[in-house]
Amino acid sequence: MKKSLLDYTLRVRLPLVVFVAAVSFIATYYLSRAERDGVGYAPVQPVAFSHKLHAGTMRIDCKYCHTAVTTSPSASVPAVSICMNCHSVARKNKPEIIKLTKYYEEGIALPWKRVHKVPDYAYFNHSSHVNRGIDCANCHGQIEAMDVVNQVSEFTMGACLKCHRSAPETLSNVPGIKKGPEYCSACHR
Amino acid sequence: MSNESKYWKSLRELHDKDAVGELKAHEFMDGVTDDFKMSELSGMSRKQFLALLTASAAFAAAGCSNYRDRGEIVPYTRKPEEVTPGVPNFYASTCTGCEQSCGILVKTREGRPIKLDGNPDHPINQGKICATGQGSVLNLYDPNRLRGPEYGSSSGKSGTLTWKQADADITRLLDECAKTTKEIALVLHSVHSPTAAKVLSDVSAKYPTTRLYVYDLFNDANRRRAWQLSYGSTEIPSISWEKAKIVLALESDFLGTEGMTIEQVRRFTNGRDIMKSKDFNRLYCIEGAMSLTGANADYRLRLNPSQQLGLLLALINEIGLVRKKGSLKGTIPVQASGASLLQFANQHSLPVEVLNHLADDLSANVGRSIVLAGDVLPVEVHVAVNYLNEMLGNSALYEEKKSVSYSDHSTPSQLESLVARMKSGQVGVVVHVGTNPVFQLPKEFGYEEALKRVAVSISLVESTDETSRFCAYVLPANHALESWGDFNVRTGVYSFQQPVIAPLYDTRQKEAVLLSWIQGKDSFHETLYHEYLMTHWEKTIFPTLNRSVDFKSFWYASLHDGVVAASDHSTEPSRFKSDSLSTAIPVATDGYVIGLTRNFYISDGTFANNGWLQELPHPISKVVWDNYASISTRTAKELGVDNNDRVEISLPHGKQTVPVFIQPGQADGYVSIEMGYGRTNAGPIGSDVGVDVGGLLSKASIAGARVVPGAKIVKASGQYELVTTQEHHSLDDTFVKELHLKREIIREGTLRQYEKDPTFLHHEKKELFNIAHDVEYNGVKWAMSIDLNKCTGCNACVAGCNVENNIPVVGKEQVQRGREMQWIRLDRYYAGTPDNPSLSHQPMLCQHCDNAPCENVCPVVATNHSPDGLNQMVYNRCVGTKYCSNNCPYKVRRFNFFNWRDNLAEGYYEQEPISLMHNPEVTVRSRGVMEKCTFCVQRIADARQHATEQGRPLKGSDVKTACQEACPATAIVFGDMNDPKSDISLYRAHDLGYHVLEDTNARPNVTYLAKLRNIHSENLT
Repeated sequence: MKKSLLDYTLRVRLPLVVFVAAVSFIATYYLSRAERDGVGYAPVQPVAFSHKLHAGTMRIDCKYCHTAVTTSPSASVPAVSICMNCHSVARKNKPEIIKLTKYYEEGIALPWKRVHKVPDYAYFNHSSHVNRGIDCANCHGQIEAMDVVNQVSEFTMGACLKCHRSAPETLSNVPGIKKGPEYCSACHR
Repeated sequence: MSNESKYWKSLRELHDKDAVGELKAHEFMDGVTDDFKMSELSGMSRKQFLALLTASAAFAAAGCSNYRDRGEIVPYTRKPEEVTPGVPNFYASTCTGCEQSCGILVKTREGRPIKLDGNPDHPINQGKICATGQGSVLNLYDPNRLRGPEYGSSSGKSGTLTWKQADADITRLLDECAKTTKEIALVLHSVHSPTAAKVLSDVSAKYPTTRLYVYDLFNDANRRRAWQLSYGSTEIPSISWEKAKIVLALESDFLGTEGMTIEQVRRFTNGRDIMKSKDFNRLYCIEGAMSLTGANADYRLRLNPSQQLGLLLALINEIGLVRKKGSLKGTIPVQASGASLLQFANQHSLPVEVLNHLADDLSANVGRSIVLAGDVLPVEVHVAVNYLNEMLGNSALYEEKKSVSYSDHSTPSQLESLVARMKSGQVGVVVHVGTNPVFQLPKEFGYEEALKRVAVSISLVESTDETSRFCAYVLPANHALESWGDFNVRTGVYSFQQPVIAPLYDTRQKEAVLLSWIQGKDSFHETLYHEYLMTHWEKTIFPTLNRSVDFKSFWYASLHDGVVAASDHSTEPSRFKSDSLSTAIPVATDGYVIGLTRNFYISDGTFANNGWLQELPHPISKVVWDNYASISTRTAKELGVDNNDRVEISLPHGKQTVPVFIQPGQADGYVSIEMGYGRTNAGPIGSDVGVDVGGLLSKASIAGARVVPGAKIVKASGQYELVTTQEHHSLDDTFVKELHLKREIIREGTLRQYEKDPTFLHHEKKELFNIAHDVEYNGVKWAMSIDLNKCTGCNACVAGCNVENNIPVVGKEQVQRGREMQWIRLDRYYAGTPDNPSLSHQPMLCQHCDNAPCENVCPVVATNHSPDGLNQMVYNRCVGTKYCSNNCPYKVRRFNFFNWRDNLAEGYYEQEPISLMHNPEVTVRSRGVMEKCTFCVQRIADARQHATEQGRPLKGSDVKTACQEACPATAIVFGDMNDPKSDISLYRAHDLGYHVLEDTNARPNVTYLAKLRNIHSENLT
């Protein structure tokens, strides 16, 4: 039987097109996953604050600025007054500090760009995690090595559950750590 | 005991079983699931729609320059020391919703008040407040509030003005009045604050022509006047409820709307706590309208309130003269000696046997009973009640603490002269200090007309009302949560009010406005009244307290506690005047008797624009968003009317057309109507809700009896649809009847039965069939118990839940379709005959069943079970099939048919600043998802966080649900049922404990304690 064009199209061209389309879709889906989940997101902040300098070089404890992290669901971004504890004296004449002082003295709200975000319908509790001895770096990465903070982990339900399910293995450095809750209302309410 | 025909929810169900059966068989009300009408839909074709959708999506995608942007985090510049983001703060203050002045704790998040609860340290309300108080937080964020001073219509100008301008104008006008000796009239509600009273006297001192006019739409003027007659004082003592074994309430709704209800409910229901004692108190209620007190009575008789005096005289005669019990005071009046109880019973077809029980009980409990008369009854009845209590030695129950008031109600003739002087131009300035007399005063006064003739009228209110419409200056007042104050409603108890948020708008506190007028030009500053209050306390009140600390320490400690206990400056015990009993003989009257009563939730109309309170179902009729004329079945027949018909009620001084509601248990010939509804200028929510019956109130009634005989009633044309929730969410019993099983939703018994046989509820052991796997719950497992002996059906739990869980308001039209959203509801069942029904209340909420039927049918597993026993509902997973609701035997699931906030009154509840009021710990649900009670899972999470912080395991007692916290009767217990020592374990194991619809084997985690009626017989009749 003579091979027709239709035959060729159906047997060769179509599967090829479908295959290429599927592969490129799947490849794009997985390759862009991190991008879509915001990994690597490092927005420019209104004041060029360096965690590397403060938390890394000077070894200031996270809790010195993020005061509420052990008592509140929210870790709290420090009030400008906390910066001014030191910077009312320290490096007063540097351009970024002059900017900061202006915010403080004029009482203008300092609009930090949000880097890490879980959706509104998920209620993450910093206090519950930190008080169990889980280190900030488990989710936020090596902040003390970052000049500009960027997102290291995915902040997705999959990422939460992965850790909750494997906590005894992945967090073996934390004494007495158990699996985290997996039921819905642990986070959603 | 329970057969399914015994309990009925409405007259329609009793008489017309089929119609309601139909309703029960359907999950949703008529019309809810109808198909769309194609003709009414948009003409756009599917292709056009898709094309537009694609195009707009492409534009949107192109327009988004930074899809990774997550917004901003804006910290404080200078963080207030006491604020931690994410952690609530609590401040003690005082609720000003009614004259009870309950102590409250205000929960604030990041400086925003989001929830009010009672202050546990307050000696009177002890940690509880009513539904109105719970819901009142919405008024702070009401978009309808005034944002700055405005010119009113009678000023001839329009638009806004500044406070500076207003103050300058008004002080000039006040000075003019002082010069020309024209009257300055201040129209007020009663004053309960010593410092506010001082401000008023300062105003009078500066402007000698000032006169104060005090009125309250709802008041206890009759009780006070009677006390004056009987004891020569208007200071009424509080009652030792714990000692009262017999309570007789005559048209007195002391559990619902009269007096210090929160305290009364707590102390009364304390005497019905099966966990403490089997020695229950006994409540007799003889009344014309079905009240919450009548609903909770062991014996309830219906009697036209115009006959109460006759009944009292007959009782005095029976107990004092026939049985010779108690001690007669002075000579008994002639008419009492002639009135026989038997004769009276026959005359008014009252059951003789119950009246005999009553007389027996009162005689046997000399010094251990109390008789109460309602606020609507005339002075003579209150005097006779005082006499009866004295005769029975019940004055032993009067406590040393007495009521305190800083103002006397103006008499009707004083108000009449005010109106006359306003009309004749003798009144130069009239100031309405938070009052709305055009709406609240009886229309017979003609206040509206008079107000139009006054040159300068000022309205000092939170939002515009009927009165401010006719005023020259409309000045915005602070909300209670933005105000300072002190309150003293009982000797020795001072309660402080402190602001918990800076004024949201350009508003000022009422007292500060008055002060700034008398202190002269530009004297206003933000702390004006705060300083005045402190100075008054330091100079006047603090020295009388004999404290050993300095004033500053005392002041800050007192503000923190919210309450100051002072030693009783005990007045001499008042002596009873035995000759006070009236010699007037009750005369029979023609025509119908009208009773104008207090409504449950919206006060004197102040809370009319509060959707939460409008949508709370009436505790008895379950009607929402309306008032109506309650009539008995027989009266309805006489008038030829049915539910939703309208009647025209005529009295000599006015008439009004009112929709009719046939109320089981209403006395024949007695029509009761709740006042406070029918406001015309209350805002988008509250305007034109219900009927204003101010036209039926006579001049004398403003401070007198609210029972008006001699009314003519005729059927009026037209229909008016009243919406009631009582047939919504019916639990299906016809289906089970066919299976020859009995459904036990309400279970009751008598105290005697229980004493004889404590396990009478559990004689039948049922084999229950289980299709589910048994799950083992280790660790904490949450459970709730509700004691039906203590629950009065007041709805405080519903209001508390609304606020805690961001429950939306849906509006009357949607309630009619059965779409109300409240997570907890009070089911009310009638038993017996329509004339003399007995009522049962049952709070119904998600039962968090172990074998939850809803969980099996969800196609997307949006509702499932947690290891601590909660039935979880995940909104972001729900696709809205409503299967769960269909399969729920308890009918406690609520579906978001719309984005309710956007749907009501053109998006009223989506306007700013409403979003500030939402509890940030609870998702604000949108359209298309199912929701239901979560056992306040956000509070459990909070408790778990604190337990982790303290390094200890979570305990059941760490969590209090919002309904539990709100319940004035402490009928709700919540905790860990796996902890054998917890309260909840005791309740679950109690002989009276049962589960609703046990035979479905859903294994609910809410246990009800069966109600025991304290009647003489062993069986319920």
